[in-house]
Amino acid sequence: MIRFLARRLVALFAVLLAVTALAFGSLNVLGDPLFNVVGFIASVDCDAVLAGEIEDISGQTAGGRGDCEVIQAARKEHRLDRALPVRYVLWLGDIVRGDFGTSFKNEMPVRQVLADKLPKSILLMTVAEVIGIVIAVPWAIVAAYRANRRFDRASTVTSFGLLAVPNFAMGIILFYFFVVRWQIFPSRFEDTDLAARLKSMVLPGLTLGLPLAATYQRLLRTDLITTLQEDFIQMARAKGMTDRWVMFRHALRPSLFSLVTVFGISTAGLIGGALVVEQIFSIPGIGRAVVEAVIRDDFPIVLGSVVVIATGFVVINFFVDIIYSLIDPRVRRDD
Amino acid sequence: MTRTASDAVIDTTTRRRLGFGFWVSVGWLFLIIGVAVLAPWLPIADPNETGYGGRLDGPGWAAWFGTDTNGRDMFSRTIWGARVSLTVGFIAIVDGILIGGTLGLIAGYFRGAADRVISFVFFALLSFPGLVLALLIIASLGSSLMVVSMTLGILSIAPVGRLARAATLTFAEREFVQAARVLGSTHRRIMVRELLPNVMIPMSALALLGMAITIVAEGGLAFLGLSVSDGFSWGKMILLGSSPRTLRNGPWVAMMPIGAMFLTVLALNFAGDRLRQYLDVRELAF
Amino acid sequence: MNGTVNGQPLLSVTDLRVGFATQRGLVRAVDGVSFDLFAGKTLGIVGESGSGKSVTAKTLMNLLPSYARVEGSVMFDGRDVRELAAQKEKHFWGVEMTMIFQDPMTSLNPVKKVGEQIAESLRVHLGRSRKEARDEAGDLLETVGIPEARKRLSQYPHELSGGLRQRVVIAMALACSPRLLIADEPTTALDVTVQKHILDLLDELREERGMAMILITHDLGVVKGRTDDIMVMYAGRTMEQADTATLFSTMRHPYTEALLETIPRIDMPSHTRLVPIPGRPPDLIDIAPGCPFAPRCRYSVDACVVECPSLEGHGTAHVCACHKPVGTEAGIAARAANEQQGTTPTGLDMGLFEGAGSRSGTGAGN
Repeated sequence: MIRFLARRLVALFAVLLAVTALAFGSLNVLGDPLFNVVGFIASVDCDAVLAGEIEDISGQTAGGRGDCEVIQAARKEHRLDRALPVRYVLWLGDIVRGDFGTSFKNEMPVRQVLADKLPKSILLMTVAEVIGIVIAVPWAIVAAYRANRRFDRASTVTSFGLLAVPNFAMGIILFYFFVVRWQIFPSRFEDTDLAARLKSMVLPGLTLGLPLAATYQRLLRTDLITTLQEDFIQMARAKGMTDRWVMFRHALRPSLFSLVTVFGISTAGLIGGALVVEQIFSIPGIGRAVVEAVIRDDFPIVLGSVVVIATGFVVINFFVDIIYSLIDPRVRRDD
Repeated sequence: MTRTASDAVIDTTTRRRLGFGFWVSVGWLFLIIGVAVLAPWLPIADPNETGYGGRLDGPGWAAWFGTDTNGRDMFSRTIWGARVSLTVGFIAIVDGILIGGTLGLIAGYFRGAADRVISFVFFALLSFPGLVLALLIIASLGSSLMVVSMTLGILSIAPVGRLARAATLTFAEREFVQAARVLGSTHRRIMVRELLPNVMIPMSALALLGMAITIVAEGGLAFLGLSVSDGFSWGKMILLGSSPRTLRNGPWVAMMPIGAMFLTVLALNFAGDRLRQYLDVRELAF
Repeated sequence: MNGTVNGQPLLSVTDLRVGFATQRGLVRAVDGVSFDLFAGKTLGIVGESGSGKSVTAKTLMNLLPSYARVEGSVMFDGRDVRELAAQKEKHFWGVEMTMIFQDPMTSLNPVKKVGEQIAESLRVHLGRSRKEARDEAGDLLETVGIPEARKRLSQYPHELSGGLRQRVVIAMALACSPRLLIADEPTTALDVTVQKHILDLLDELREERGMAMILITHDLGVVKGRTDDIMVMYAGRTMEQADTATLFSTMRHPYTEALLETIPRIDMPSHTRLVPIPGRPPDLIDIAPGCPFAPRCRYSVDACVVECPSLEGHGTAHVCACHKPVGTEAGIAARAANEQQGTTPTGLDMGLFEGAGSRSGTGAGN
């Protein structure tokens, strides 16, 4: 078990390095980091200005500070004069110390922005997962118990339908009926107390949770049907255990493996979904923040959010691995 | 020795047939692709002609799908929107199959260090929530049709590549590949002539499922205002119809493209799923 | 039957028929099977795969899928078993009658500790407390000869060897002291060296507890000398039924004879060829008239294709369904005629049997 954990931890750190490098790299290689910091004046040829070949025309309008001074200051502050790998390492050091930089927009520390937005997104995703599982597990059990009967066929059709509805479409459909037409739920996030917060989360949670429920249902149903054909299920029946006992005490747990694996992977879809759903239901979460930041070219916010989101995703999948080994004693063997 | 009559029953009930639903799905896909390709020559309104009808006219004879806030014909717009959505979906999955398929083939055929490196790249790519990665790239490169398609293509590299790798691993051990090796065929020849055709078979199911996912992903980006800036896709149309006021007065503006997208994604999913069962591909992990 | 016990049989099966509705038609998996089993006795059911032996067992155990159609009567100690199934009786299977399966690797739940799996029956059926059940489970493991029984209770199945697992399965089955144990190929999946230990253990336990047993196998060698009676099944029907000694000394059915030739025996001359039975068991959906074994039978005559033989008596408690029984004048003549002709009326090449053990004349093996 300890060797297993150690191996997993090493893999975790390798992936975290790769993911942060990917995020840092794509913003710094694909885009022009100088442009990201100073805007269009990045194109001024400062070497030429300093050499006196061309004139610095900005100084007069910008309170005596020339473009080149701004650029040089920015280069220094953001270490743009260093090589990319060095910058990455230094940046990683900052991140580890909790320094995510400051937003271009309002000079707020990115860390503070994240601390403000993140809990709302986490609440949203938790509500969505809870809805997904609470719907999926009983649904799958009933469907698998009477596999290929009427209920099971109807639920296959239903889950296929649910999975073909993109989450933004689902959000708008729910928004249309429950907010616009029937006015049962508030149109934007209400942050007054926990009850209001939860009520505001019902529709966004359903938007993300229903397709999730369909995914989980299909997986768990298939696994349950496979498990129910196993010899040990026959054996349990031969011991005179009731259908209910066999289902809950014997079949359910060995059927959870795929579900647990997909629980981790599906978080990716959930994060993507949160970006969209937070827009529709006006939830001031991290998804909305990152989308706004992308539109405004507020790169510290983009990078900070992306790193936090990706790290969260990787860490969740790390724990999923551990949980997996706990429910399946066969995985724990060190061989 | 344990095979009893009840096992035999299961054998006879699992038929290897694509079934009626598969052909209905394929029919819908051909229809939507057909009208999208032929849109400029179809006798439909100009999708950008404001004042084709009144503001937010309901669906009726003049405008089958109603009109939007600018009086533009939604039927025509839904067909034109399909052009962008389908193009992005198609380019993205073709990209994914070209790059991911090649990498997967190399990893599965050569094994060893190449496999370890490529597998780690796949793993790292999968460790990034898809839409967030797309957001990053588009934030850096802007949102032309090509950038969006390529970005979504990059997202499909890892899942496609993993399938290609798994398929290659199983086929590389088969007799016909071994025979080619013994006969002194070059690696490239073996990969292209012997392995590729076999790996392409499970890939076809994945292509359909993957296209559904990329169409939805493009829709998501468009809905966030981050997709193709020149032209409009279904996602952008849905965004335009999604304000509470438009929803209240003309729900069809959002619902018509939602419906078109739903049917297309449903058809792709269904056809892909049937094909997957028909070809008996197990390791589809999209 | 041999060693008759006064009074009622413990289990009495009369004209049992089991069908499965499929898209191709009704599969007649069991087609009119009858037998009695007295308390403390052992019945061997022998046949190839698809002969209906496992379906028969599953019918007794109420383990058939819901689309199975069952007819006929199954009485256990005066109780109608099919009626019990309809009423969803909770404390019959696992208490009075229980079953163990072929593969001990898959018969145990991989994610539950061995102790829990044994204790489960005790708690559900006998209402034992957690601790009592655990203690009894430990005793059971000792009974089935597992070393360090207490320690095993908290182990998972994958930590045990195949032989140990089958012992655990037996312990599970014995938990509520059943009066009938059905063992479906209990040793087929095990190493040859372990097989005998398990069979001996089953014998011992049966003796000690006065339990009746049905031993299902494809291998006549397994039941030889172990069971009281044997029923040979083919295509869902009883082909031959007799007490074990009689069956081995004077077998009457060509199928029984063919089955015996597929297993090696110590007393065979060293180069005796083992003869596999040519052909495959018949399709159970479109059942042809005539004897189901006729296409594979070297004794077959024209009548075998047209008319299905019914079970007829051959001495005390020995029945056989055959027009030309082995070892009778008619049988010897039929086989000789087929040998002379080179093929049987069903087109079976007699050359396939050349070099087989020379049992054609007497029907008795040794």
